[in-house]
Amino acid sequence: MSSTQVATPETSSHDGRQPVRAGRRWRRVPPLVWVFLLVPLAVELAWVFWPALNSFSLSLTKWNGVGAAEPVGLDNYRRMFDDPIVRTAVTNTVIWIVVFGGLSVLIGLGLAVALNRPRRGVGLYRSAIYLPMVFALAVTGLFWRVLYQPGGTVNSALENIGLDGVARQWLADPDTALYAVLVAAIWRQVGYIMVLYLAGLKGCDPSLEEAAAVDGASAWQRFRYVVFPQLRGVNTVVFAITVIDSLRTFDIVWAMTRGGPYNSSQLLSTYMFEQGFTALNLGYSSALAVVIFVLAIGFIITYLVRATRED
Amino acid sequence: MSTTDLSRRRFLAGSAAIGLSGALGGCVGSGGSNDGGGGGGGESAGSSGPLTLQSSAADPQPKAALKAVVDTFDGPETTINTVAVENFRAQLPTYLTSENPPDVLTWYAGSVARDYASEGLLLDVSELWEGDGACAGFSDALRELSTTEDGTQIFVPTHYYWWGVFHRRSAFDQWGIQAPETWDDFLALCETLLGQGITPLTMGTGSTPWMSSGWFDYLNLRINGPEFHLALLSGEHSFDSAEVRAVMDEYAKLIPFIDPNGRSYSWQEAVTPLVQNKAAMYLVGAFFTESVPSDVVDDIDFFRVPIIDDSLPLAEEAPTDGYFAASRTDNPAGAKELMSHLAAPESQEVYVAKAGGAFLPTSTDVDTSGFSPMIQKGITLLEESDQLTQFFNRDSSDELQTTADTALTRFLDQPDQVDDILAQWQQAAEQVFQG
Repeated sequence: MSSTQVATPETSSHDGRQPVRAGRRWRRVPPLVWVFLLVPLAVELAWVFWPALNSFSLSLTKWNGVGAAEPVGLDNYRRMFDDPIVRTAVTNTVIWIVVFGGLSVLIGLGLAVALNRPRRGVGLYRSAIYLPMVFALAVTGLFWRVLYQPGGTVNSALENIGLDGVARQWLADPDTALYAVLVAAIWRQVGYIMVLYLAGLKGCDPSLEEAAAVDGASAWQRFRYVVFPQLRGVNTVVFAITVIDSLRTFDIVWAMTRGGPYNSSQLLSTYMFEQGFTALNLGYSSALAVVIFVLAIGFIITYLVRATRED
Repeated sequence: MSTTDLSRRRFLAGSAAIGLSGALGGCVGSGGSNDGGGGGGGESAGSSGPLTLQSSAADPQPKAALKAVVDTFDGPETTINTVAVENFRAQLPTYLTSENPPDVLTWYAGSVARDYASEGLLLDVSELWEGDGACAGFSDALRELSTTEDGTQIFVPTHYYWWGVFHRRSAFDQWGIQAPETWDDFLALCETLLGQGITPLTMGTGSTPWMSSGWFDYLNLRINGPEFHLALLSGEHSFDSAEVRAVMDEYAKLIPFIDPNGRSYSWQEAVTPLVQNKAAMYLVGAFFTESVPSDVVDDIDFFRVPIIDDSLPLAEEAPTDGYFAASRTDNPAGAKELMSHLAAPESQEVYVAKAGGAFLPTSTDVDTSGFSPMIQKGITLLEESDQLTQFFNRDSSDELQTTADTALTRFLDQPDQVDDILAQWQQAAEQVFQG
């Protein structure tokens, strides 16, 4: 996918008239089109970028939404180091990225490979696995909350197969709450990743795999050395989506545990929301938002730089 | 051909621009739009611009009740803007500080209102509390609750409710038990019920962890008294003190009696075991009756949380709801007129009748004879009390409430960690009071 994109500018210089035509086209763009382009840009700048920039300056203040914001320098960032809940939230966010990202990609890829070949009823399986994706995260959260209730489906199922000892209050137990939410989130994400990889697998050249099979490569070797390298473009997309989705995870945790019990399933995003909109500590909350932003941007840029360097 | 094409596009662009400006205008503010009217003029001009009532009553019944009350208002034209309570809470500072604020807003009496008043954001409504004003006849407790430190009134309370230990009358009869008189009787009753395989207490602290503050508030009121309680919540005492420790010791005695599944429930879900006679009692606000099936409501009764130290003034939690007005309103006279209407006995009667839940009117002129026996009992309960408190968050702040939620839900799980929990609670509370 990325290889074709990279190739485009090179191939496009094949005829010399191209730049001239592009210039004429540039001038031929009617003013109305500019209006259509600039108005959304202005809206985006005013309602997205400007507030986002404001959160940087807000993060250096103490403000409860009333009166003037009081500048406090880097106090909000210093406070984060002493805040035990931030420590929990950072740990949980790392766990979330690793487990949510790792498992949803592994399972999604596995399902895509398994369901790639045409077989009877394969469409049904694919649709069934993709189906959770159509529900909003908040709805998924509420649905799983019911499953996890004391006396709910999960516990009854465990008791029916003789695992009474394992049954517990999944969302009220600080040891299991985060993982219980993770299961729900992965359940939903897997279908999405599967669809992305299915599309990638459709783009792979089957003759290469056949050739490798003729050469005596095992199924694992064919996947590892022939198919997987061809999925590099999809991998970039999946990686970016997974990191962004993990860092912005908020709704499902809020719907299922609100960061509880006693902050044990707090993520940076939920803690930011709680500080901002329950406690009205808008300065501290903005500082948390800045940290999340830096983390997300850091991950993405590092990865993109590495990915493009390899090209 | 190209010209017609273009003109159609221009039309589209134009309409898009109009739509956009409309959207922008909609975001900026929702107050009355007559700019000239109230700015410098004062109230005597009799400005009659339209009014906006910003309401957090988003549940169907209270929403309909408020609409019914406002429909009978014959003053300036009034629009109700209903906003879900979570958003309302977060946006309240924005509403009050905006150039063109909503004129009248629903909210809570007590420390939250006082905080905004100290910023000069609330309209002085003292005249409603004097002479033949709509609030002049309200009780002294309500007057105190609506008064700022400098002695002006900024709040118009219209209804309140009480907290108590609720139970099903038929279930108590069936089990042959009676409402306990003393704290020891109460603990003994819980022990007996537990022996019979009945969960003595239900409490939903899962998605509504603030419910755990109910018992904390009451035990603190009963053991240390209302004066200490309010001072504690305003940061004058430490949560890591011998007094709070004594409260936690008593709270720990209750933990074995509380339904362990309640840790997964919301307060609404915790009503189910009570209704099904699996749990016997529920310390909750009277608002909970809106979650009780209608054929069971008449079977619900309650008793006062038993007294522990009878040398202390008798306090009850009676969270009070009502209205305040933004000081920047264009139409202060109209805002006061609307608030007078909302506080009038006839309006309160309509509201209480239609809002569901068990609300009490603040006006003594409301005819309460038609109310249910339980509400009558609630009125008596509060009349017999020496002092009324609000609830943990209303007597302090939503921010301090989050520290209580963390400390108390952890305490319910790990009562043996009480020292650590109280130390951390105090640490978190200090952060709140500094911040």
